[in-house]
Amino acid sequence: MKINKKTALLSIAFFILIGLTGCWSAHELSELAIATGLGIDKTEDGYRISVQFVNPGEIAAKKASSGVPISVHTAEGRSMLEAVRKLTTTAPRRVYLAHVRVIIFGEELAKEGLRKPLDFLSRDHEMRADFVIAIAKGLKAEDVIKVIAPMEKVSANKIFTSIETSEKNWAPTKIVLLDELIESLVSDGKEPVITGVYLTGNSELGGNIKNIQQVNTPTKIKSDYLAVFKGDKLIDWLDESESKGFNYITDNITSTVGFIECEGGGTLTIETIRSKTKLEGAIENEKPKIKIYVTAESNIGDVECPIDLSKSKTIKDIEKKFNEKTKDIIMSSVEKAKELGTDIYGFGEAINRSEPKKWEDLKKKWDEEFKNTEVVVKVDLKIRRVGTIAESFQEEEDQ
Amino acid sequence: MRRNMFFKNTKIKKDDWDNVTVKVDAELIPAKISEVLNNIKITMGNSTDLVTRDFKTGKDGSIDIGIAYVDGLADKVFVQDYIIQPLMTDLRMTGLDIEIEKDPNVFEVIKNFNLVSGDLKEIIDLKTLYTHLLSGDTIVLIEGYKKGFAVSSQGWQDRGIQEPTSQTVVRGPKDGFTETLRTNTSLIRRRIKNTDLWIETIPVGNKTQTDVALLYLKDVANPKIVNEVRMRINKIEIDAILESGYIEEMIQDKTFTVFPTIHNTERPDAACAAILEGKIIIMVDGTPFVLIAPAVFVEFFQSSEDYYQRADISSLLRMLRYFCLFLALITPSAYIAVTTFHQEMLPTLLLISLAAQREGVPFPALIEAVMMEVTFEILREAGVRMPRAVGSAISIVGALVLGQAAVEAGIVSATMVIIVSLTAIASFVCPSFNMAISIRILRFVFMILAATFGLFGIIMGLIMMVAHLASLRSFGVPYLSPMAPMVAADQKDVFVRVPIWKMITRPSFISQSDSRRQATPSPKPPNKSTNEGGSQGENK
Repeated sequence: MKINKKTALLSIAFFILIGLTGCWSAHELSELAIATGLGIDKTEDGYRISVQFVNPGEIAAKKASSGVPISVHTAEGRSMLEAVRKLTTTAPRRVYLAHVRVIIFGEELAKEGLRKPLDFLSRDHEMRADFVIAIAKGLKAEDVIKVIAPMEKVSANKIFTSIETSEKNWAPTKIVLLDELIESLVSDGKEPVITGVYLTGNSELGGNIKNIQQVNTPTKIKSDYLAVFKGDKLIDWLDESESKGFNYITDNITSTVGFIECEGGGTLTIETIRSKTKLEGAIENEKPKIKIYVTAESNIGDVECPIDLSKSKTIKDIEKKFNEKTKDIIMSSVEKAKELGTDIYGFGEAINRSEPKKWEDLKKKWDEEFKNTEVVVKVDLKIRRVGTIAESFQEEEDQ
Repeated sequence: MRRNMFFKNTKIKKDDWDNVTVKVDAELIPAKISEVLNNIKITMGNSTDLVTRDFKTGKDGSIDIGIAYVDGLADKVFVQDYIIQPLMTDLRMTGLDIEIEKDPNVFEVIKNFNLVSGDLKEIIDLKTLYTHLLSGDTIVLIEGYKKGFAVSSQGWQDRGIQEPTSQTVVRGPKDGFTETLRTNTSLIRRRIKNTDLWIETIPVGNKTQTDVALLYLKDVANPKIVNEVRMRINKIEIDAILESGYIEEMIQDKTFTVFPTIHNTERPDAACAAILEGKIIIMVDGTPFVLIAPAVFVEFFQSSEDYYQRADISSLLRMLRYFCLFLALITPSAYIAVTTFHQEMLPTLLLISLAAQREGVPFPALIEAVMMEVTFEILREAGVRMPRAVGSAISIVGALVLGQAAVEAGIVSATMVIIVSLTAIASFVCPSFNMAISIRILRFVFMILAATFGLFGIIMGLIMMVAHLASLRSFGVPYLSPMAPMVAADQKDVFVRVPIWKMITRPSFISQSDSRRQATPSPKPPNKSTNEGGSQGENK
């Protein structure tokens, strides 16, 4: 049979294309050990990797089972890849990293620098780059990775979702993805921050199935605080209020809660439902200057003091007080960063955007200049709703 | 080379046939009745259903008459009342002898005054005699004349018009074609009362002499396509045609394809719609399935009900069918590709859930999928072929084997059962059975592609399938029209079905002549000023 030229060319093109696809080898689902969490710690001459695998049979089982939903394997190696490959000596199946939800670095390693281990994470083709990065505050990553959490049986997933929800509703945490982290590492005008995770309770007990058999789980994973970096090295932590200030400046607030003191004692809590921050950089009199404009919309959420909300003056007062308070939160966060001498907010980038030419000179001595940068904060918060009751019945009780 | 050889062979055969038939042709009807009747008896091997009779009639019994018909094909009562009765009694009792005295040509007198039948033909040669005899006509012979009559007396038992079983509708006509060609043409004639509806009949099959009829609207159908169809049917040299499938296979454009290039239907309304679009209907005596040519790909996803329900409903259902085409084609292969190559594409929790189900399943996903698909095909085939009485046994076994036991035994995963069921249901959504089978065949090809190359294989398979579809022709009409080549005006009946009053022209890829269908203005609410009185009255 004569093959016509077109058909021949087409089939050649088809077979050449096969070589171009990234995904090559087939792996049956039952041959894979699905890794959900990765903990990276420092050893004397390399890394210690602890991987959290799911135990699919236990997770998806309809009936209550006595087995553990996750299992953790560890391996040590001079390089990341070596350690990962060494895992196969203990892991029952092929290690599959595409579904890693969280990568935790031990504080010790973070202090030494993240640049080296990050290379493998961004180079490996299997990693999906949508995992959240966190720092184990004051302990080893391994300790966090091996804790079993209630409800969310895969604790790596628990860390992911709790960082995500607290970023959205409470504000002192931040989801840092790999791309963003690397970007702020290489950028001159910005330094990275990473959310911290830590344990309450006994880390030994956390890895035991008994941990989730109690109503009040003895060992819990908490995500809080932001780790401040200079370059790729961890230097200090922002506390809750400073972390919130950080999120205000970087326009990372979706919704949060804040309170003010009332005149006659007691507190009034305000729920911010929308917030928008504009960061402007300028150079005035050869000095860098940063202007931060925060506009927010809020509701009054909780009144625990005698106050008459039906008067518009009261609302104005509250707005004013709250503006001041927010400004303080922001300023204290900025002061902390200045003290540490690390530009985590991207002030440098803001100046670069407005004065690109002058930034060229400035960036060499930015670490010093940052400490002397003038920061002006303007907060414009509007109260939109007071909730389902206007006047608080607190007044009546007091009288 | 091969082709030529093939034709050469048939040519030799054809000559042989010609030689045989020429001999029969030449033989004229002898003048003696006994000779003719004997000839018939000998030729037909004294078959038991052959009825011959000779009798004397006329005033003094001077006229010898011979009669022959086939019992079962001819209507006995008709033969008795309208052929034998007039010949035997009327010719003797009434004053016909006067006519005979006037004109000694008895043959003409009987023809003009005696045989009370509307459909009467004179025959002179034996070949025609046999054709008529075997079609149910009654042969009347008169002593001394080298010719005879063929009186139409067909009256065999047939099934009667019933609801079509293969293409059912919720709304729409419930009559279906039957096995009798004449009944079928009448079903079309009753719907299209137009002199332009032409019916051509070509006998096909050297042994069966089956009537094959072409029906088309003279002004609308493309004469080139009509000629092409006629030519291809005339080329057929076969001993027997038992179903329209025989014709379909022998006149299609390309044989090396899984896709049907000729449509078939059991519904007279669908056939009429096709005729009105300029297509040609090929009817074969002995089957309720008529062929529609030319056929394009989208036609196989159109149901006649699409035009009886409102446009919006039909459009939704039309899109659902295309969606189901994809489901039926690639669901199992997509599952194989994603679970063996692209696990990173799945949401983590779904992956864990799938992995949990695959725990303990001993086969790779491909084997698992092929196994379940084959099991389903076996069940389906058994369901079609088995005697009605054992039907429930099969469905019980099927449900248990496919549904529960296989999963519980850990041979297949529960997801795979869902995938296979979904695929099976989706493949039955296609209104045309032969297209559904094509998709079923391709599904296995896609599964193998997915297992070897992942999603890349599926995409390559789809590209090749579309390229192949684009290369197909049905009687010269591109198979993918009106999408490739793109005809903007013909998109009104492809993915959506526009309202009937918007379908102004016939599909141009089939026929360009007399293309305007209607000039109905689009429906509007009544004009306020003219209708004011009426609406006020209603309000009161």
